[in-house]
Amino acid sequence: MFSCWNRRPKPAVMSKAKTQQPAVIHKVIMVGSGGVGKSALTLQFMYDEFVEDYEPTKADSYRKKVVLDGEEVQIDILDTAGQEDYAAIRDNYFRSGEGFLCVFSITEQESFQATAEFREQILRVKNDDNIPFLLVGNKCDLEDKRQVTIDEAQTRAQQWAVPYVETSAKTRANVDKVFYDLMREIRSRKMEAIRQSNGKKIRKKESKKRKCTIL
Amino acid sequence: MEEDKPLIPGVTVRAATPERLVHLCVESFGKDGRLVEDNEFPSVLFLMHKWFMTSDEMAEAYVDLYQSCSDTVACMKPGCNHRPSSIDCQIQIYKAKICYAVRFWISNFPVHFDLDHRLSTVVKRFANLVQCEGNLTLKQLIDLSKVPSYDWMRNMSVRNPSMRHNRKVSLVFNHLEPMELAEHLTYLEYKAFRRINFTDFKNYAVTASLKDNPKLERSIALFNGLSQWIQCMVLSKTTPQQRADVIVKFVNVAKKLRILQNFNTLMSVVGGLTHSALARLAKTNACIPSETQKTLMEFTELLSSNNNFSNYRKVFNQCCHFKIPILGVHLKDLILLHTALPDKVEGSLVNFRKMAQLSQTLKELTKLQNHDNIPVCANMDLVNTLRLSLDLHYTEDEIYELSLAREPRNSLSSPSTPTKPVVFADWLAGVSPPVPNTINKHVHDMVEAVFKNYDHDKDGFISHEEFESIAGNFPFIDSFCVLDADKDGMISKAEMKTYFIRANCHALRKCFKHDFHEITYFKPTFCIHCTGLLWGLIKQGWKCKDCGINAHKHCKDLVVMECRSKQHAACNRRQDSVTNGTPTQELTYSSKRKMSQRQKRNRVHQGTQTEEIYFMDYQMRNSHMNGDGEYYEEQGQLYDRLLKAEEARDKLMAENARLEAKLEASNDQIVTLKSHVGMIRKNTITFILEQMDALHIQRDTEV
Repeated sequence: MFSCWNRRPKPAVMSKAKTQQPAVIHKVIMVGSGGVGKSALTLQFMYDEFVEDYEPTKADSYRKKVVLDGEEVQIDILDTAGQEDYAAIRDNYFRSGEGFLCVFSITEQESFQATAEFREQILRVKNDDNIPFLLVGNKCDLEDKRQVTIDEAQTRAQQWAVPYVETSAKTRANVDKVFYDLMREIRSRKMEAIRQSNGKKIRKKESKKRKCTIL
Repeated sequence: MEEDKPLIPGVTVRAATPERLVHLCVESFGKDGRLVEDNEFPSVLFLMHKWFMTSDEMAEAYVDLYQSCSDTVACMKPGCNHRPSSIDCQIQIYKAKICYAVRFWISNFPVHFDLDHRLSTVVKRFANLVQCEGNLTLKQLIDLSKVPSYDWMRNMSVRNPSMRHNRKVSLVFNHLEPMELAEHLTYLEYKAFRRINFTDFKNYAVTASLKDNPKLERSIALFNGLSQWIQCMVLSKTTPQQRADVIVKFVNVAKKLRILQNFNTLMSVVGGLTHSALARLAKTNACIPSETQKTLMEFTELLSSNNNFSNYRKVFNQCCHFKIPILGVHLKDLILLHTALPDKVEGSLVNFRKMAQLSQTLKELTKLQNHDNIPVCANMDLVNTLRLSLDLHYTEDEIYELSLAREPRNSLSSPSTPTKPVVFADWLAGVSPPVPNTINKHVHDMVEAVFKNYDHDKDGFISHEEFESIAGNFPFIDSFCVLDADKDGMISKAEMKTYFIRANCHALRKCFKHDFHEITYFKPTFCIHCTGLLWGLIKQGWKCKDCGINAHKHCKDLVVMECRSKQHAACNRRQDSVTNGTPTQELTYSSKRKMSQRQKRNRVHQGTQTEEIYFMDYQMRNSHMNGDGEYYEEQGQLYDRLLKAEEARDKLMAENARLEAKLEASNDQIVTLKSHVGMIRKNTITFILEQMDALHIQRDTEV
């Protein structure tokens, strides 16, 4: 279906050797029904050109160093392909995710309906309504077979207060965008969490100070 | 197209036409019929050919090659007539190699020939062709007579008669040893796993859908069923301690599964135990011993998806002999490979490099399916009971609701703003429930198994007590009186079968569905969900017609409480139908599976023994009725009440035990007294007889 991919392992390995300190890791989970193109998106993002020796079993097959707004970070992608039907363990996978790409195929209404169920389960597992989350309509190159209208998808995205992006793993349209957008959201959530915990500390310090002055 | 660094020894071709591949395969064999330098090319080709062509097409390619030998190779021997009798004829040598290749195919992949009639037809034709040429030695190489039958693979569930060991085991969960449970789960798992064939794997990798893939679907359904059964078994218990005990038991089962190297079932068990529906039960988790928690953590670590399942992959590769892989992980590898690499390159050349890569996973999977010695011996009765336990299935939402009902959310952490209502989805994770016929068959087998083991007097009925012990395996099934449709105090086979078939159609969800209607209140009333006042003059809120709870319009969909009065309604209806003498069938349909039903029944049951508890129960029910829901407290209070009731029950049980001991002592006394009576009577009789004798003698002498 997709001609070929090329790995870029060399620079990653070299930078690993150079900078010992591990970069920040953003954990992304690809969810959606079977056959919507989760794996194709993942692979398009991980590798660009020609790959002969793709090894799906290697430990770092789904980890990549990227530069996000000038900062070097690592992305770790958990692709749930092949395990969509193992409903019982999906829950456990979701727990480790920091951000979710919820993918459906614009050529398949059923896959769009299923996103609601995935969203429900993710919110329940993460117990957080603001979890970084993107609704992704894949296969947008197949416009003539479209079953899910842009309006329909956008209405749902608005209801959930999440961004909606249409992608094509085939033409590579918006592939980088969805991953980078999600990473930005994850990053800002992490910053917020740090600020909050710092804020608490500062407030504590302040209260201590105040006590001191009173005393 | 060749390459310098082969992935698998001997597999140097990167892409080629099918004809070229067949030729290369033939060239891998020596004159003596052995593989040249352990060349693995033929095994990869025969294993993978179905990815890009059908088996009969492939066989035809060999036939074509045989018939047009002279175009492929040239015989340089002067004056050679290229007959089978000629020695050192290159053409004859090549023909022999073709036959060696086909023999290799038959002996290494016999399953292809048994399951594919078109293939065996082509091969038989080939054998005739060789024979017609007068090449009898070569004809003998192509021999299909030794291909064993793979009938069991065609069928979804044919039983292997050699496995009918009759080890005596208990069918009751509470009495089952972890090892027994682990072994029987492994038996079920392996049976489902080994039926999945190459085409099933391929179709799933290509379509990513379970449509028309019943064998893989069955395996996945088993996986999900087990995981959910575990959650239900835990959630069916009323106190945190009891729930913790069940969890501990399943962790022990997990340990045994690890020893058996059954990673798929292990994943399912650990997945069930660490599911958020159980992980959120803080009170229960506090009761789990730290050692068990540690073990569970270790298993979670082992099966974690981190670093592309690296922990699991490492351990799995180290395991030898019998093992069952986590199918999902390997399916994912296949899908990713298929997505990353094209089937055809440069127009129509088969991308054999891809085939070689795929073959590494598929070879492992097919090798594991052909273990003839599974290290477990199964008791078919237990297998049947378990299989049905795992067939009863719930949705994720239903189980989560149940979890919330057991240990309600902390009121502080619950979202104050109305979030999306929790709807009971009809969407069922792709895996459709087993078809009715399968269910009926499983029910039949299970009921037969239960009666074989529990109907000791073989009269076709089992009693109340016997039923209670089996019911533990099926969380949330109805009480004895519902099953006992004709109210004769015994359950017949037919009653039990009807019940289970119906139970499969029914869902637990009914217990949580309220029948809300807008209503006007005449006194201040509070919402059951947010505990806030129902504001307004008219139509302030919504009331459930069945159980009478009240809620705001925006809260009513968030209520996570069972519709409890439905039980009473069911009870009442039951009595009605008995008095009216209406067919009891209808009643079974109206009643629902309820988690608290059995426990409730217990309470009533004990109530008849002691006045006090009966009174309490009566009072509780009264408060339900009178209050008509207006006095319904918060869930937390209800929960406390439940705990108190359970405490009282436990106390009563202790009392009961004490009284029983007393009774026994009294019985002993009676026995001793009886023996005394006997002695006294004996003495009295001898005394009377003596007296009479004496009188007789007296009279005689007087006379």
